Amino acid sequence: MGDPKGFLKVSRVEEDDRSVEERLHDWREVTEHAPEEAVRAQASRCMECGIPFCHQGCPLGNLIPEWNDLVYRGKHAEATRRLHATNNFPEVTGRVCPAPCEASCVLNIREEPVTIKTVERTIADLAFADGSALTPHPASRRSGRRVAVVGSGPAGLAAAQQLARAGHDVTLFERDDRIGGLLRYGIPDFKMEKGIIDRRMEQMRAEGVVFHAGVDVGEAIGGDRLRREFDAMVLAMGARAPRDLPIPGRELPGVHFAMEFLVQQNRRVAGDAVNAKTAILATGKRVVVIGGGDTGSDCVGTSLRQGAASVTQLELMPKPSLVRVPANPWPEWPLVLRTSSSQEEGCERDWAVSTRAFRGEGGRLVGIEAARVVFEGGKMQSVPGSDVSLPTELVLLAMGFVGPERRGLVEQLGTELDARGNVRTDPTGATSVPGVFAAGDTSRGQSLVVWAIADGRRVAAGVDAWLRQVPMARAANG
Amino acid sequence: MSETGVGTIAAGVAKAKADTIQIAGHDGGTGASPLSSIQHAGTPWELGLAETHQVLVLNGLRGRVRIQVDGQLKTGRDVAFGALLGADEFGFATAPLVASGCIMMRKCHLNTCPVGVATQDPVLRARFRGTPEHVINFLFFVAEELRGIMARLGFRSLEEMRGRVDCVKVRELSHPKARLLDFADVLTRAVNEEPAKDEPIDPSCCVPDAWQMSSTDEAVLEGARISLKHGEASQTHVQLTNADRAFGARLAGEVARKYGGEGLRDNTIVIEAAGTAGQSFGAFATRGTLIVLEGDANDYVGKGLSGGVLAVKPPARSRFKAHENVIVGNTCLYGATSGKAFFAGRAGERFAVRNSGAISVVEGVGDHGCEYMTGGTVVVLGPTGRNFAAGMSGGIAYVLDDERVLSGRVSKAMVDLEPLTPEDEETVRALVTEHVEHTRSARGAHVLSTWAKRHFVKVMPHEWRRVMQLRAGQESVKRASGHG
Ligand SMILES: Cc1cc2nc3c(=O)[nH]c(=O)nc-3n(C[C@H](O)[C@H](O)[C@H](O)COP(=O)(O)OP(=O)(O)OC[C@H]3O[C@@H](n4cnc5c(N)ncnc54)[C@H](O)[C@@H]3O)c2cc1C
Ligand code: SF4
Repeated sequence: MGDPKGFLKVSRVEEDDRSVEERLHDWREVTEHAPEEAVRAQASRCMECGIPFCHQGCPLGNLIPEWNDLVYRGKHAEATRRLHATNNFPEVTGRVCPAPCEASCVLNIREEPVTIKTVERTIADLAFADGSALTPHPASRRSGRRVAVVGSGPAGLAAAQQLARAGHDVTLFERDDRIGGLLRYGIPDFKMEKGIIDRRMEQMRAEGVVFHAGVDVGEAIGGDRLRREFDAMVLAMGARAPRDLPIPGRELPGVHFAMEFLVQQNRRVAGDAVNAKTAILATGKRVVVIGGGDTGSDCVGTSLRQGAASVTQLELMPKPSLVRVPANPWPEWPLVLRTSSSQEEGCERDWAVSTRAFRGEGGRLVGIEAARVVFEGGKMQSVPGSDVSLPTELVLLAMGFVGPERRGLVEQLGTELDARGNVRTDPTGATSVPGVFAAGDTSRGQSLVVWAIADGRRVAAGVDAWLRQVPMARAANG
Repeated sequence: MSETGVGTIAAGVAKAKADTIQIAGHDGGTGASPLSSIQHAGTPWELGLAETHQVLVLNGLRGRVRIQVDGQLKTGRDVAFGALLGADEFGFATAPLVASGCIMMRKCHLNTCPVGVATQDPVLRARFRGTPEHVINFLFFVAEELRGIMARLGFRSLEEMRGRVDCVKVRELSHPKARLLDFADVLTRAVNEEPAKDEPIDPSCCVPDAWQMSSTDEAVLEGARISLKHGEASQTHVQLTNADRAFGARLAGEVARKYGGEGLRDNTIVIEAAGTAGQSFGAFATRGTLIVLEGDANDYVGKGLSGGVLAVKPPARSRFKAHENVIVGNTCLYGATSGKAFFAGRAGERFAVRNSGAISVVEGVGDHGCEYMTGGTVVVLGPTGRNFAAGMSGGIAYVLDDERVLSGRVSKAMVDLEPLTPEDEETVRALVTEHVEHTRSARGAHVLSTWAKRHFVKVMPHEWRRVMQLRAGQESVKRASGHG
């Protein structure tokens, strides 16, 4: 806390986004990064609280007051070290994290929180620019133990990096052709450009992580074989089973899961060719996105960039209030109306709308039928006579994910699932099967990048502790 | 403070007719206090409380006082244990503070409390959102939990619970160190052989004879009657002993009642006292009162001095060197606002702490002199202890420093040390002359006669200099506009 009164002198200034006209013409990041000086001033607002509630807000326990102070004092090298002490990929969270830390910032009680996420990203970007963030930290002693990590999303990457740094031989298997999980193929480039993943991979390779992309574990290699060949295994396969909407007309062409659509666009931006027959494009169409969350919002931004005629986003739940309600006090995550940069770019939003049917004509999607709903005593009821019908040529289903895919690896290993269908783990990340651990969306259900990284770190510690207990026999057998 | 032997102290305090004895546990304390105090003072309140209750009961004193306990009490369970170990009252600080908005920022000492609890900054205070209802609500929860515990134990009132250590069970703990703990002494039920003395607290115990007027008080009021009535001059002689506490305070009260803060003309009421005065001699003395003591005085001389003049000097026949001996105790002129005090001898520690306007001459002071002073003038004709001028933001001290040692004894965070200006010399000389007139101080006379060879240092607070400059600026503006 270089300046104990900083928060009284400087007010919160957020980074600007590029103008809508400009950014709709490209796929580059929306946010215009603030100059270092401005970020320094923002960091001076941190009060270095006796009880830093941001620590509780950030799932990684990032040492926020420490690096705010270091940034304020211009000590970037030290800030980089302190930031990476708890966060493997601050360049990612600094871009896509919804920043629960800021929600719990003490300044957020009565005024506006410190721009923690911007400070985080600035430290990371400066450290990327001078290369200091990417210095490999290989273990000084190898353990000779082999760990397989399945899935290369943020959870798998964090687990792999931590395990490699602990001296274990890590092999990371990824079904897709590229590493990164949802960071690569879910989150669009306009939120996070993908070059940063590749640079982290170089660092991880130097630390000893072996990447195998294009390997569907469970298909190409059986779970049993992995268990035999490795001393431990981390399942970080995400929660990829999408929630469906089984209503009349679901089979019509033009009704797609959000991920089908988003993956294709991420591939195009990466320079891949997408088969024209299976291509899903919003160009010239009236698009309806069903689901009001992050995924839905990414569909909105992607559709608009593809040149959709119009985009409407429907949400089943009622419109949240603009300000916190008393039953949702600080430092809780505020359940208030949020508007993403994509939603700002020109989209109709409607709440408390339930879709009843997809209407087709001549085998083609032409519209949807929906009704307004109210929630009474926790039960949803449709409002009589409130039927609406919307014309549309493309519907994207972004209603969340119901858990990890069970067919294949999960079934083969026979790990227990919890009531919500996620892989059940104990606090160290261990599943019901000895030596098999799980992390990220696989064990937690659909969540956030920051939670995935936190889980990855936790599970790495769990695996490490477990490996210290069990005898070396297995490694020798393999 | 809860610690071994606190029971003995409590017994003494009870005999001295205290109303309430407060046992503070080791883990309380404001976040603004030094770490050494937060972490290394006292023992758990349970120990001090148990000892206090037991000693008072055994000595037949328990009925005379209420025992209050505090130190991170937060729950009804805490209250229940406090009562069972012997407490009548329970101090809550942190928890109600949190209930009303404190978020434990630990910035109490920086004036930057972001929720407006511990700050004087109006901008930040505006952020305070606490209400009495928040605290009431919290305490209702405490009471509710306590009620449940009482019901389970079969108690109808807290009085019934008091000292019932037989209701406390020691939990079996497996930790080897925990097994070394022996609670037998804490959980001993104290009983007095004379049952009448272990009676419930007598509410009238709080109106002790200490409230009755002492004979010296009476003599002084009687002697000053014409002054009080008609504002005419009066003179009284009294003999004091150290049982005469707060001598003069009652008179000050009467003057203030009749004449308000203005008081009387200088020297209207003159009191000549002799002997050893008890604590708080001359406390709150008002304008128009001159109290001269030939002898010495205990702590707190001139506490809250409000315009009166005090002089303390050794008896004329004494042989010792006055300036090498302590004549008044600790914490003299605490919170004085105006008036003058002359001491022909040394004072104890914390001399003129929080003085905001009184003028004083003294011949030496102990540690922490002029601490937190915000106004007034202090002349020290002798050595000071360490940590002089700590937290001093106003007023000026002039210290005779022939040995050139002052610099090492001053806390320099808030003050500068500098030579005297010709005006300063004038001021100090005049004050020392006045000192000699009031006390026939040999030291003062000697300093005056060797003035040119003496080395004084001026202790000037940074804040005070700023205030002085601002005032000077305003004056010149006034003068200029007056002319224009
Ligand atoms: C469109 C979208 C946008 C999002 N935006 C944000 C955002 O802005 N901010 C945020 O914090 N969170 C966001 N999220 C959520 C966030 O992306 C996820 O919570 C996070 O990526 C989960 O990480 P993970 O490592 O557990 O799984 P994933 O990132 O899902 O990675 C799992 C990986 O495992 C691979 N895999 C699965 N099965 C196998 C197998 N059998 N063999 C080999 N590999 C396999 C998959 O191909 C995938 O690459 C978004 C999610 C989506 C869908
Ligand atoms: S990772 Fe997210 S929650 Fe943690 S400090 Fe960064 S922005 Fe805040």
